[in-house]
Amino acid sequence: MIRNYLKVALKVLARRKFFTFISLFGISVTMLVLLVATAIFDHSLAPQAPETRSERTLGIYRLTMRGPENTQSSDPGYGFLDRYARPLAKLPGVEKVSLLSSAQPAVSYVGGKKIESQLRHTDGEFWQIMEFELLEGGPFTVEDERDARFVAVINETTRRRFFDGQPAAGRTIEVDGQRFRVVGVVRDVPMLRFSSSADVWVPISTSKSASYKEQWMGGFEGLILARDRADLPAIKAELQSLLREAEHHLPDPKRYKTLTAGADTLFEGLVHKVGLGDSDKLRPAAVKAVLFLLMLLFMLLPTLNLVNINLSRILDRASEIGVRKAFGASSRTLVGQFVVENLVLTLLGAMTGLLLAIPVLAALNASGVLAYARLGLNLRVFLYGLAMAIFFGVLSGVYPAWRMSKLHPVQALRGRSV
Amino acid sequence: MTRHLFKLVWNRKRTNGLMILEIFFSFLVVFVVATLGIYFWDNYRQPLGYSWQNVWKVTVDMKAGNQDDDATVAARLKVLERLLGEVESLEPVESAAAAMVSPYEQGGWTMGTTINGREVEAEGSGVTTKLAEVLGLEVVAGRWFREEDSALAWNPIVIDQDLARTVWGDEDPIGKQFGDPDPKETPLRVIGVVREFRKGGELAARNNFMFQHLRLDAPSWLQPRSILLKVRPGTPAAFEEELTRLLQGVAPDWSFQVKPLADERASTFRMLLAPLVAGGTVAFFLLLMVALGLFGVLWQNLLQRTRELGLRRAAGASRSAVHRQVLYEQVILTTFGVLLGAVVVIQIPVLDLVGFIRPQVFAAGLVFAMAAMYLLSTLCAFYPSTLASRLHPAEALRYE
Repeated sequence: MIRNYLKVALKVLARRKFFTFISLFGISVTMLVLLVATAIFDHSLAPQAPETRSERTLGIYRLTMRGPENTQSSDPGYGFLDRYARPLAKLPGVEKVSLLSSAQPAVSYVGGKKIESQLRHTDGEFWQIMEFELLEGGPFTVEDERDARFVAVINETTRRRFFDGQPAAGRTIEVDGQRFRVVGVVRDVPMLRFSSSADVWVPISTSKSASYKEQWMGGFEGLILARDRADLPAIKAELQSLLREAEHHLPDPKRYKTLTAGADTLFEGLVHKVGLGDSDKLRPAAVKAVLFLLMLLFMLLPTLNLVNINLSRILDRASEIGVRKAFGASSRTLVGQFVVENLVLTLLGAMTGLLLAIPVLAALNASGVLAYARLGLNLRVFLYGLAMAIFFGVLSGVYPAWRMSKLHPVQALRGRSV
Repeated sequence: MTRHLFKLVWNRKRTNGLMILEIFFSFLVVFVVATLGIYFWDNYRQPLGYSWQNVWKVTVDMKAGNQDDDATVAARLKVLERLLGEVESLEPVESAAAAMVSPYEQGGWTMGTTINGREVEAEGSGVTTKLAEVLGLEVVAGRWFREEDSALAWNPIVIDQDLARTVWGDEDPIGKQFGDPDPKETPLRVIGVVREFRKGGELAARNNFMFQHLRLDAPSWLQPRSILLKVRPGTPAAFEEELTRLLQGVAPDWSFQVKPLADERASTFRMLLAPLVAGGTVAFFLLLMVALGLFGVLWQNLLQRTRELGLRRAAGASRSAVHRQVLYEQVILTTFGVLLGAVVVIQIPVLDLVGFIRPQVFAAGLVFAMAAMYLLSTLCAFYPSTLASRLHPAEALRYE
């Protein structure tokens, strides 16, 4: 039966080429936009080097201090994390805790040329949580950080900028007026990966001033690697009890009374980073619902367009429908047939959109709008695309199919309008 | 005639209803993109209030914490004062000033206060005396800060004309106290008015702005975060390195980033316009899709109505009359869609949903979107209606 439907569907598509082109154009443009958005999301959130363990990693990305009149909210400071996030390492379910700064712009001059880099200060544990793709040498260690050795890991692009792509391990670079010995070179990490990406990574203890050690607010984040995904809820709960304790030792107890922070998954962290909601109020399910609504909203116009085209195409086939009805085909069969036909059309359009997405993503990568991005299509993106195409196909097929099935056989045979 | 056309449209209400809905949503898409575009263009035409040419910005990270005591802050300010002196003594530098918030910065400081029972919001910055010289600010009333202002018992402020108008209307603001006096704090008093200061740059909306006097000899809550310097025209980029080395030599514990304000301006433009360009491109393809769709649907519909139109021709209607009928029907559909859209869109200024966009900009966006939809749908109807009018009456009547 389905085979018959498919045969008819392809025949119909081939018969009115102009209409088929219009429909395919609309579907493929819609799918193209959705696929590009999905690829960007996937690139920011899916586990991939160096964040291969992101599924069992939690981050403390935001800290909010509240008092009766004042509210202060930013990324946490080293002083706070050192005192109240590091102890999480003692939990049985925790493998490692790492503190790292957010990436900061830093300037170097090489041979009269200005080089702008993103500089990130990390501890040694950072390199044990992350799995960077090493091109040369290795990361710096916990001891390097403890002894404040001036060592640096740089990415591929930095090696090209400073050393013309020549081997860099053992050589010296000057960043922000400080000199570091390069110990390792890693592959570029897309800037979308906000807690691992940088151009140059150096030990926290090489910071120019020690004032960061006392800060509760600003400039740092904490990463917690759990042994297993099942340990995550216990870690989240323990952080909350540490926060309650921290509230007794606030640096400015007159102005601030309470602390809010969360051990976030990457998705929750991203939502916080773009400034949507506080840790305690945010529900990822709500954000996902909003994303789904946005997709629906974007699909609205293409759906209406396709429904309109489909409706006018039905008229074309009134006599066929009339014959089938006269020979006893039920409304439900006809609806099924038309929805299948529409699915064939949307899947064809989705394939076109997929093919178009390849050059568009390549152009996005080359444009450098998203630094170091290597956007591409993978199985996950493909499956999401497939799901969206099927959703779109059903959405735009059901109403015309229903209208079609309502056609009166006699009228239809005479070729009257719907 | 018009009544008759309405009847014809009504008779095919289901098909037409969907088309109206499609026009309605397309209208919304055009409206959003057009309004944002017009908003930026409208901002771009307004006076900026300062000149960015030959101004360099040094972002200074003093590694300051928010729990520092006064002695630490005072020591930091001393170093900054020395830095300013050293920088000014360099040959390519004409003048230098420190600022808390500088042009083209995204973040900033916004203050809200109640004056004469009215809520007033203003962006602000603490700046040293020479800033007016560096940025070429135009003082239109009163005067700019002077070094001797340190001796005053109140804090002098310079405001822009927007803020002066918001608070005092046509009255002369010079010498007036700003905000309700709080006995614990030093009062703020207006000493001068500058023509304009749009911190966000050319694409940002006009906004209230106020300068406070940043003193380097006494710690206050105003924390300088950058040094702005006017360099001689034609200063080479290589001077950046010399400048950076000098700054790092004086304050090895701090981090510096030197950048011409022109670069900051360019990246602000990119950042604000990139989403508009991306959205505009998507909107363009959506509209192209809608146009093709409408075109196909109209064509198909007219094929369906061959007999009706043939009858009209046979009864003596001229070609152009048939042509006109089809076009008018489409205009009626578009009007429904556009009116529906306008009713929705007008809620935004009426309910004050998006405060930062002026009503005039809304109106312009509305008119633009309306015109675009009429143009789009008549274009789509033109070819099918030409085909319909070319039908030979005899042939049309035979058609079944």
